[in-house]
Amino acid sequence: MLRTENLRISLTNKRITDKRTTTPHLVENVSLAFNPGELTLILGANGAGKSTLLNALAGTRVRHPALQQQGRVTLDNQDLAQFPAKALARRRAVMPQQVQLDFPFKVHEVIAMGRSPYGMDSQSQRITDQAMALLEVDHLQHRDYPSLSGGEQQRVQLARVLAQIWPHGDKPRPQADHEAGHTKRHRVLLLDECTSALDPAHQHQVLDIIKQFTTPDVISCAVLHDLPLAARYGDRVILMKQGRVIADGTPRQVLTADNLAATYDLRTRILQHQEVDHPIIVGLGRATHRGLP
Amino acid sequence: MYRVNPIALWGIFAVALVVACAWSLVTGALHIPSRELVAVLKQGLGFSAAEPVPLHLEITLLQIRLPRLVMALLVGAALALSGAAIQGLFRNPLADPGLIGVSSGAALGAVSIIVLGDTLFSSWVWLSGRWALPIAAFVASLITTLVIYRIATRSGYTQVATLLLAGIAINAIAGAATGLLTFIADDSELRSITFWSMGSLTQSSWQDVAAMLPFILIPLLLLPLFAPALNGFLMGEAVAEHLGFPIRWVKRCIILLTAMAVGAAVAFSGVIGFLGLVVPHLLRLVIGPDHRLLLPASALCGALLLTVADMFARTVVAPAELPIGLIMAIIGGPFFLALLLSPALKPGGVA
Repeated sequence: MLRTENLRISLTNKRITDKRTTTPHLVENVSLAFNPGELTLILGANGAGKSTLLNALAGTRVRHPALQQQGRVTLDNQDLAQFPAKALARRRAVMPQQVQLDFPFKVHEVIAMGRSPYGMDSQSQRITDQAMALLEVDHLQHRDYPSLSGGEQQRVQLARVLAQIWPHGDKPRPQADHEAGHTKRHRVLLLDECTSALDPAHQHQVLDIIKQFTTPDVISCAVLHDLPLAARYGDRVILMKQGRVIADGTPRQVLTADNLAATYDLRTRILQHQEVDHPIIVGLGRATHRGLP
Repeated sequence: MYRVNPIALWGIFAVALVVACAWSLVTGALHIPSRELVAVLKQGLGFSAAEPVPLHLEITLLQIRLPRLVMALLVGAALALSGAAIQGLFRNPLADPGLIGVSSGAALGAVSIIVLGDTLFSSWVWLSGRWALPIAAFVASLITTLVIYRIATRSGYTQVATLLLAGIAINAIAGAATGLLTFIADDSELRSITFWSMGSLTQSSWQDVAAMLPFILIPLLLLPLFAPALNGFLMGEAVAEHLGFPIRWVKRCIILLTAMAVGAAVAFSGVIGFLGLVVPHLLRLVIGPDHRLLLPASALCGALLLTVADMFARTVVAPAELPIGLIMAIIGGPFFLALLLSPALKPGGVA
């Protein structure tokens, strides 16, 4: 279980904080529990604090000096701040919104970097190959990464991130784990807009893969902007506005016209269709109009 | 892009380095036949030679050329390795160790001693004797680096962009101070300043090598350990952290180790530009950007290149000597330009 307890992230630097705005908090008193085996999607308007929350869930320690974090984030009841960096990297992988890599690494080298928390591991080559095959980027493996298109780069990055916490499948878990009465050691997958550069077919492919990857010992959490995709793939959807959680539940419970209007200032129509068992969301336009001056 | 097999490259480097070393030992104002070189080396290893080597040849080899060769190897390796590490840290193939203030700091230290050694710093020069200049240059370069590092670090977080900007500002200030000292210098001091700023390995004795050795050997051995972390850094600090690298520690170590290596190199041999910038760049075109290969290969290639350049510096206008910094620029500049212009070797992706 991945939990946040009264998490509050604020800007302390007076020069950055605009005095007129009432709240300098980017994330305001958020207490959430993310369950294993579930894909949780975080939705919200630009600047709602989604990425900031995701960064805190990742246990990122080195952050901008003006950002201050209060409250705890725990994984399996252990404070993330107390994890050794390498141990945490073996259990938690993060895909950032953008990775800028200008140096001509080959695609397979980029994916193999996902294995760096394991040092010289005999399995790394096999896992790199499997991750490439899963994301269907194996035909690109000898290309220079900077020469790829944005969507291809995104799929390569996802392969790297999955390789970092790849299940050690055919190896049985060490017996000692169970004997010592340890609770299961969950792995955490955090994704920040991992479909932003993909064509529609690859958006479905990638979310499908993430769903498959979310086995009962994996906690997955993704920031997403696409409402239809969220309705289709989310096990749980969280709506955020100005650093607060304003709705939390299954897609059917959360993705209602009223909630979406409150979150985004957006008019929507929610439809049903007999071919699919999830709500179909049609955006109609902004709720309030300001027009040209 | 096509890459050279690293094993083949190591082989080529190893052979080239041995050849360059031997060649550089036998050539010079005084030609030493290779037979005598072998005999002296045998003697040094404890074998008894068939016939004794003439004393003046033995002294030239062991007391003049060999320490100078070792100096060239160490300085070359230090400059190229530091360049590779700094480029990785700044995620910029055009970065060079001078950005963090090493060169301008060292220059200020050296010029202060040259110009003010007989007045303001006379007691210091009297105390430290022949090492007054190297020590001053080294200490000044470390102080400059620390000042720049402190400015860019707030609550334990080093902003690489601020580091770069602070570097530019502090470099300008140190440059102005150096300029002021140059302005008040007399003719002979000006000549020393010019000579120092063009780089030279002329004054290389075993004592110099011994004094410099730890400051270059420690970075040379430790920097390659940070290769996996530097690979992560190329994708950004956040990614490096999420991959489990202790990024504060990594940044601190890389900056201090490169400052140490470059500071020591500049202190003893003056300003030798070009090497730290271009060697890693060339190698990246040939073996790719993976620092696990790039760092050791840069050190080897830098050592090789400086050895060859120093041989030219000693022989082209013998018995006089050209400053080695000039040689580096004359050979390297056009070569690098040709490489950039050749269509087969466009630096892929590195805009």
